[in-house]
Amino acid sequence: MQISNRDTNGVVVVCPVGSIDATTAAELSSHIDRLVSSGNTRLVADLAGVDYTSSAGLRVLLGAAKATRAKAGDIRLAAVRADVLKVLSLSGFTSILQLFDDVDAAVASFA
Amino acid sequence: MMSDVSTRPRVALVIGSGGVKCAAAIGLWSVLTEAGIAVDSVVGCSGGSLYGAAIAGGWSAEKMRSLSESLWTDDVMQGYRENLKASRDGSLRFNDRSGLVDDTVLNQNLERIYGDLQFADLDLPLKLVATDLHRGEKVILSRGPVRQAIRASIAIPIIFPPWEIDGRLLTDGGASDPLPIDVAIQDGADIIIAMGFTLSYRTRMRSITAVQEQLTSIYTNNILNATYAFHNLAHHAEIFPVIPELDEQVSMFDVDKIPAVIEKGAAATREQLPHITRLLQASG
Repeated sequence: MQISNRDTNGVVVVCPVGSIDATTAAELSSHIDRLVSSGNTRLVADLAGVDYTSSAGLRVLLGAAKATRAKAGDIRLAAVRADVLKVLSLSGFTSILQLFDDVDAAVASFA
Repeated sequence: MMSDVSTRPRVALVIGSGGVKCAAAIGLWSVLTEAGIAVDSVVGCSGGSLYGAAIAGGWSAEKMRSLSESLWTDDVMQGYRENLKASRDGSLRFNDRSGLVDDTVLNQNLERIYGDLQFADLDLPLKLVATDLHRGEKVILSRGPVRQAIRASIAIPIIFPPWEIDGRLLTDGGASDPLPIDVAIQDGADIIIAMGFTLSYRTRMRSITAVQEQLTSIYTNNILNATYAFHNLAHHAEIFPVIPELDEQVSMFDVDKIPAVIEKGAAATREQLPHITRLLQASG
């Protein structure tokens, strides 16, 4: 899995590319853990490049939400593809995480 | 293509409640079989029990197709209208063992289809889910005659009378756990392929029973979502949801829609197949 970051107005946009499943979830989880540990608690996950998330991916997102919110931050999701949105909806994640159509809107929501 | 079970993750198939829509499991099973994906155990609930038992029994897709038509015959709902009317005017006294349908035909159909098949006779371990009508608990059935367990699991509340097994009065498994992924988790499955169905909502309700049916759909769908979320977070490995997208409402007796339902089940499975295959290859 390819994961890149960019800082936009104090918000770190995390861009994973590929599928988030049991074979890749640990890598994404560690990546987010490092960001939070280093004080970055306002995160946007740009999911435009994610074609699939399994239950392992859901656990990563929930873990990231807990970790960031414990430090008064949050992780917000942007550009979620239809297949991923289906899993998020079925599992109720659309009720506990904030989703935005694009990265700009997600970043702006922290203002 | 079968791989050594000791060196690969254990795969469980879960087929949830959904009435005739559960025939989509035939499409799912065909796609998994073609792809050579071996399944180690099967869990079924309500309508999913019918196909879970067939899959665990090693039935062909063709035999499974004929199952629905043999079960949901025109006369299976005998007595419904008369009993519904009688329950309204008070001439029918309803209690915990009652149903609006005389289940004689249903029981005969089940006997004709499944005969004396026992859980112990099946090719794969099978667990079927029903609900204890008095205690509200999920009940897992995994021994004895398969037909009896199916009868309990598909006992749609109020419509079909509950079914007694081992002194417990059992009703539809969907009342407690419409997509019993937890049963597969409990059994130590590493990868769970879960076919679930959301119940359709009515746009118009003109009777008490219509409102009651609508509320049942709302409750069931919310139980499905809540338990699915919990199981995803509780399970250590992977759950692959297979949710067929049906364009139109499919009611219990829409057996003419079964071919389309099967194809939707196959299509939903094909969507998940690359992800399942990749994980199996990475884990194997």
